[in-house]
Amino acid sequence: MKKNIIAISGLQRMDNPQPGAGMIQSLRRACPDLTIIGLVYDAMESGIYAAGGPDQVHLMPYPTAGTGPYFERLDAIRAHTPFEILIPTLDSEIELLSHVSDLFKRRGIRVCLPDPATLRRRSKSHLPELAETCDVDVPDTRMASDLGTASRMAAELGFPLIVKGPYYEARVVRNGMELSTAANRLLSEWGAPVILQSPVCGPEFNVLGLGDGQGRIRGMCAIRKTVLSEKGKGLGGITVHDPVLNSLCTRLIRALRWPGPFEIELIFNEADHRYTLIEINPRFPAWIDFPSQLGANFPLALLRMIRGERLSPLPATKPGHFYIRHQVEAVGHISRFSALMGDNLPAELLPWGEITPPLSRKGILP
Amino acid sequence: MKSSPLKTLLLNEGGVAFDPARGETYQLSASGLTLVRMLIGGADQKSLLEFLLREYEVSESTARRDLQTFLGELEKRGWL
Repeated sequence: MKKNIIAISGLQRMDNPQPGAGMIQSLRRACPDLTIIGLVYDAMESGIYAAGGPDQVHLMPYPTAGTGPYFERLDAIRAHTPFEILIPTLDSEIELLSHVSDLFKRRGIRVCLPDPATLRRRSKSHLPELAETCDVDVPDTRMASDLGTASRMAAELGFPLIVKGPYYEARVVRNGMELSTAANRLLSEWGAPVILQSPVCGPEFNVLGLGDGQGRIRGMCAIRKTVLSEKGKGLGGITVHDPVLNSLCTRLIRALRWPGPFEIELIFNEADHRYTLIEINPRFPAWIDFPSQLGANFPLALLRMIRGERLSPLPATKPGHFYIRHQVEAVGHISRFSALMGDNLPAELLPWGEITPPLSRKGILP
Repeated sequence: MKSSPLKTLLLNEGGVAFDPARGETYQLSASGLTLVRMLIGGADQKSLLEFLLREYEVSESTARRDLQTFLGELEKRGWL
């Protein structure tokens, strides 16, 4: 029965939602007998307390702690609950874990992760090369490893500009002063390079899907974002069907021979009626439970793929279905929170490090 | 790049048209809805003009101008 225990991360669903909680919803609907272990970095990740959430939850050390502490923790959790399948859903985890397939193999843990070279090919800094081989437009892009280079490249591109970190965050800057502030912060927080891009205007499209690692796509669901948050996150979307968009995504995934979940972000340039590729994320997006409710259960297909089961292509989602993010209050009890806080994670690996969390053992808990 | 052809639009009786490729929704007037349905059915410009002259009290020059504007809008969206 070990096959029916899986571990999954990314349970936060507040203002910047992660995919894990939506994936759990999709899996629960299809596999009621599945035991799901939530791996979290904060005892206040909202998905811990959501209805139909994970059966067990364990705190993890941040990926920045490295593979040693990460696997020590996995081993400790598996001694308690021996799961064989792990689905990491966060970019930082995937970056770390793509390098250590042998550590998973040795433990008998099954994962679906790209190798480091494949992961790099879709990274923000390598995207223009990939796009060129696939005949796909990308924004005019420059990489800078220091502030002086960033300023020189900004002069070439002109303002306004989008400044991005290598993994997370994107900001619009309108002048040299804003550029310095943003680039300095990104360089110190995420390291080099900072990525400078000319902005592209138009409606945003997202495509999620599942690659089989041989260049084929087992299913795709494309949406136009209809409601955006102040940070540009999609609070609503509607399914679309555009053969041009499908063909573009197929070319990218074929070129990468992408294994597993992906999300492709594009902007449709209404001036020339062409799509511009913005990012390829190595995971499902937070709206992953939307296509599941339309009959295309991507998390279930991923689980089957990891188990090595025969996988039929997922049904296409028909255009015209939409979702709107609807926030609700997940109810927890302090006893569950405190149980998580005392989850046997060595003090030096507590995710919050030296910073006292809002409800720490030194705070209102005994 | 071509957007959805006209025949792929999802139309309802109230004149709401959904473009499945762009994910955009438009509100057509009653006359616009009829014209779109006629075009989907294969009508030519002459038939569309005759329809406008028959159904609305407008001069031929006004009908011709309005029709060209409407067809231009459809073309701009890649529907023609």
